[in-house]
Amino acid sequence: MDPSTSRPAVVIDNGTGYTKMGFAGNVEPCFIAPTVVAVNESFITQPNRSSTKGSSSWLTQHSAGVMADLDFFIGEEAISKSRSSSTYSLTYPIKHGQVENWDAMERFWQQCIFNYLRCDPEDHYFLLTESPLTPPESREYTGEIMFETFNVPGLYIAVQPVLALAAGYTSSKCEMTGVVVDVGDGATHVVPVAEGYVIGSSIKSLPISGKDVTLFVQQLMRERGEHVPPEDSLEVARKIKETYCYTCADIVKEYNKHDKEPSKYVKQWRGIKPKTGAPYSCDVGYERFLGPEIFFNPEIYDKDFTTPLPAVIDRCIQSAPIDTRRALYKNIVLSGGSTMFKDFQRRLQRDTKKIVDARVLASSARHGSEVKAQPVEVNVVSHPIQRYAVWFGGSVLASTPEFFTACHTKAEYEEYGASICRTNPVFKGMY
Amino acid sequence: MILLQSQSRYLLQILTNRVQNIEKGVELDCHWVEFDDVRYHIQASIKNPHLLHLSVSLPTPPPETEFSGGLPFGAIEAIKAAYGSVVHILDPPRDGFNLTVKLNLSKLPSLEEMKQNLLVKIASVREVVMGAPLRVILKRLASRSVPPNVGVLVPLLHRPNESFFIVPQIEKVTVVFPMRFNDSIDTVLAASFLQEFVEARRTAGLNNAPACLWSSSPPNELKEAPEHALSANAGFVSFVISTRHVEGKKLDKTVWSLSTFHAYVNYHVKCSEGFMHTRMRRRVESLIQALDRAKLDENGGASQSKSFKRLSIEESRGNSYS
Repeated sequence: MDPSTSRPAVVIDNGTGYTKMGFAGNVEPCFIAPTVVAVNESFITQPNRSSTKGSSSWLTQHSAGVMADLDFFIGEEAISKSRSSSTYSLTYPIKHGQVENWDAMERFWQQCIFNYLRCDPEDHYFLLTESPLTPPESREYTGEIMFETFNVPGLYIAVQPVLALAAGYTSSKCEMTGVVVDVGDGATHVVPVAEGYVIGSSIKSLPISGKDVTLFVQQLMRERGEHVPPEDSLEVARKIKETYCYTCADIVKEYNKHDKEPSKYVKQWRGIKPKTGAPYSCDVGYERFLGPEIFFNPEIYDKDFTTPLPAVIDRCIQSAPIDTRRALYKNIVLSGGSTMFKDFQRRLQRDTKKIVDARVLASSARHGSEVKAQPVEVNVVSHPIQRYAVWFGGSVLASTPEFFTACHTKAEYEEYGASICRTNPVFKGMY
Repeated sequence: MILLQSQSRYLLQILTNRVQNIEKGVELDCHWVEFDDVRYHIQASIKNPHLLHLSVSLPTPPPETEFSGGLPFGAIEAIKAAYGSVVHILDPPRDGFNLTVKLNLSKLPSLEEMKQNLLVKIASVREVVMGAPLRVILKRLASRSVPPNVGVLVPLLHRPNESFFIVPQIEKVTVVFPMRFNDSIDTVLAASFLQEFVEARRTAGLNNAPACLWSSSPPNELKEAPEHALSANAGFVSFVISTRHVEGKKLDKTVWSLSTFHAYVNYHVKCSEGFMHTRMRRRVESLIQALDRAKLDENGGASQSKSFKRLSIEESRGNSYS
């Protein structure tokens, strides 16, 4: 038997904002690091300049070239490096849930595997994730990098929302039907899943995601004239979003609360200016509840897109096959870091329920009293591991013995090429 | 990153988190695997937040290496010397592991810097355990004492079912690594990487580095080695370590670099593959650009498409008359 199947599989969930990585069978990922690469650009321009000097400098050129491919950092280290010196520039390999820069992505994986997890990729099966709208080409590319560069013995590319559903697998029962509301940093998707199959035609996407909350907070603070150094303001806005933002039940009441008791609601943010090192502080006020509010009233942020998230969920379920709708309403699962705002789940449940009840009421009024509709149960599920629900689902999936039979193997890759990654091996032989 | 760090990043993260949040001690139960099949398992309960149980399993030793009680020669002494009272070895170890220790975090030194140093040391438990026999030999070299087994081949555990060999001599120690790779591309890359490695040693800046040799056939030192150890598809690398490489603080570094040499080469082979892919991608992009440039642009296309334009009746008449 292949010895690598006896070792735990490596599960890496690359998100736009954060990457979650670890070993299957654990409850928590080993590392949660920002998906960012800091590359030293100075080496790349250097060889061109020195090439005119002739062959004497080939060694410096050579060593510069050699150093350049190792002189980079990822995660928190990358952010701190790019702050402290200007030779490093940040690249974000994933944008809106899709890999844009494959060079940076390959380097990111390299560091994840060798520097963070410190495992030999030849020893482990790998489980990677992708967004439901990833084109097959980029799946092929992922497979190519994994098999060619890292020589992994087996690879499985899972769809994020399915894993988020699988995360609830252990808690009570095996429920593989539900709507996954995945609000990440770069993309928001509402994905209906019926018995483990993604209903592709009903996937709805929102142009509003965690990053927009950050931008909105930044904008509000700038307009109020808080003294945040401009080069740091995005980072500060992100931290404020993560620590202070919450979802309110009603904006008007919340405004009143803030105005009556500012000492209780207005928070202070303290920081140090990166250039001068001088400390500064600023107030955090209405943006605490206005930030997450853009999911429920998008018109306050974006005038082009005005459909609130509960309405999008409702539309998504209404476009799904009619026999699945009740089950879908019953199991609306949250996943992704930007659903972590306090009371987000209650607000979403209340607003969705309101829309559904209004429709049921209207239809029963139309039919009169002879037809009695059964009430529709709306249930938004949140669990404590929401932030890395996708990773946890992957960990659960990859620790089952069937996982190893469902992977694309290295032998298959060598036989057929990267095109094997286009299809899901679970459904092999079905068509 | 050029060299692999000796401390396990994840273990260090767990320990630092634990020390910082000792009062809200949470349940902890994780297992993970590092390169060369070293497995870790760490466990802690809410009841005793100061106590952590850490288990380590080592790669399967090849038959020729000397193992006592599931651990390399001298490992227990090395653990006791390195950690003192913080670590208590449990005997027998947990099922499936070679070593289980109990960490008592309340016995950490109070000075912040010393505490951090000790945590890093605990996180590099692998170096202490697996490098123990090598450390004994190199220590003897550093103290310039004549080894009891001059010129005798000593096999040491390197990877699962693989060993590397050491020949202690007076004033120097020769270390020989048979290099094996699974993948054919990796083998070729590793062989050329190692030849470059030897080549780089000859440059002026590295005069003080250990002498380094690569050969595709087993070197003379391995005459007495068992038959199965002599098949290496990426050749044999040998280093000659002299006293100046093991003086003082250099000893730890030398032990770590030697005992994880294969992982180091493997990491760089993978890096160079990644680098080549970057270059290939750039080349393809530039070729696509060249192709795009060669395409006729919109204006040129328009003049061409004119010939297909359907003529109106008058125009066609005009054409036929002419």
